[in-house]
Amino acid sequence: MNIRKIVTLSEEILTEGGRPVTPGARVAVAVAVVENPWAGQGFVEDLSQGIDATASDLGALLTPKVIEALGAPVEAYGKAAIVGIEGEVEHGSALIHTLKFGDHYRKAASATTLLPAVEKRAPAGTVFDIPMKHITDATIRSHHQTVEVRIADAPHPGEILIALAASAQGRPQERLAPLSTEQ
Amino acid sequence: MSDTALTSRSDDGTDLQQAQLMEELARQVGVRKITVLTEELLRDGQGSLPTSVTRAAAAAIVRNPWAGSPVSNDLAPETERIAPVLAKVLTDRLTAALGGAGEIEAFGKSAVVGLNGEVEHAAALIHTPFFGNLVREFLEGTSILSFSDDRAEPGTSIGVPMWHKEAASTRSHYQTLTLSLSDAPHPDEIVVIAAASTGSRPHPRIGDRTTDRPVTAEILEGILP
Repeated sequence: MNIRKIVTLSEEILTEGGRPVTPGARVAVAVAVVENPWAGQGFVEDLSQGIDATASDLGALLTPKVIEALGAPVEAYGKAAIVGIEGEVEHGSALIHTLKFGDHYRKAASATTLLPAVEKRAPAGTVFDIPMKHITDATIRSHHQTVEVRIADAPHPGEILIALAASAQGRPQERLAPLSTEQ
Repeated sequence: MSDTALTSRSDDGTDLQQAQLMEELARQVGVRKITVLTEELLRDGQGSLPTSVTRAAAAAIVRNPWAGSPVSNDLAPETERIAPVLAKVLTDRLTAALGGAGEIEAFGKSAVVGLNGEVEHAAALIHTPFFGNLVREFLEGTSILSFSDDRAEPGTSIGVPMWHKEAASTRSHYQTLTLSLSDAPHPDEIVVIAAASTGSRPHPRIGDRTTDRPVTAEILEGILP
């Protein structure tokens, strides 16, 4: 696996809607900018070799980074794969849509649900939103939230951004009725 | 967030109390959000770096206390109230992200004011000793801080220039960290940023003042018509 850089982003929201958020609401993202394992190979039918060589290592690398950047227990989470314009969206999906990638994070966060994801192909500096849901019950409405990420110089055409996102709580000032009230 | 969660952010009770105190102080001076970006560079161009370099930017999104006010307004009282808190909050996050002030070699600062303010409002929060002196002190530098300031819509791309914290003319350490904040600054907000780097640009190799040949327009007469 050829990593160019590792980026982390953390946010603390202290006020929202003009009212204090106490303690501050915390959200974090860890991103690895890696060479696309299939770059320059034309259409590769069987992606398993590249997945085996990369996906688990990426999960193991990013999991402690995002948890450390959050600095608090993870309550909601999500993931992203943004493929540079010479690759296929399928390449990004290959690296994040396997248990060998996600299980590192699920285990460390004591989580049970599937990780919500965003996948797209885009130029460097693209803005992408990572959706997050609760780590043990994806129907918990208070924890549906999104974090926005932009890395000015990535992905290059032959790179892929792989990211994990974490939130320590629901949305700041969340006050929607739970799903159960509508059933 | 539970108490346990908060504790995990600090080494002991004193740190925890201090962190809570600073968070409340930040709220009181109008901070809506604090964002920290770190970037650990392992390779660049076609080559790995001998040692990885980490750069970080800490940004505070703060209410502009002067938005819509007359240009005759005295900016000093609010500057003296707000800027020192921002300097402390931002450098705390930089030193945490980069492993302490001792690891930091380069630094810089930026301020971007929302559309309902003046660039002078952004300048007030970063260009006085109430911010600059404190950032320099907390990051253990001696140089003047390189800077950028601007007025823009939310989501604008912000380049934070940095140079060596003790020897500003060290060419290898001229570098810029670029970030954008999805929803800031609102028209009545100011984004204030402090940034630092643990090293130089990747693969620096453009010499320095000590190695430069003399260059003047006259010497280059053959090149410039």
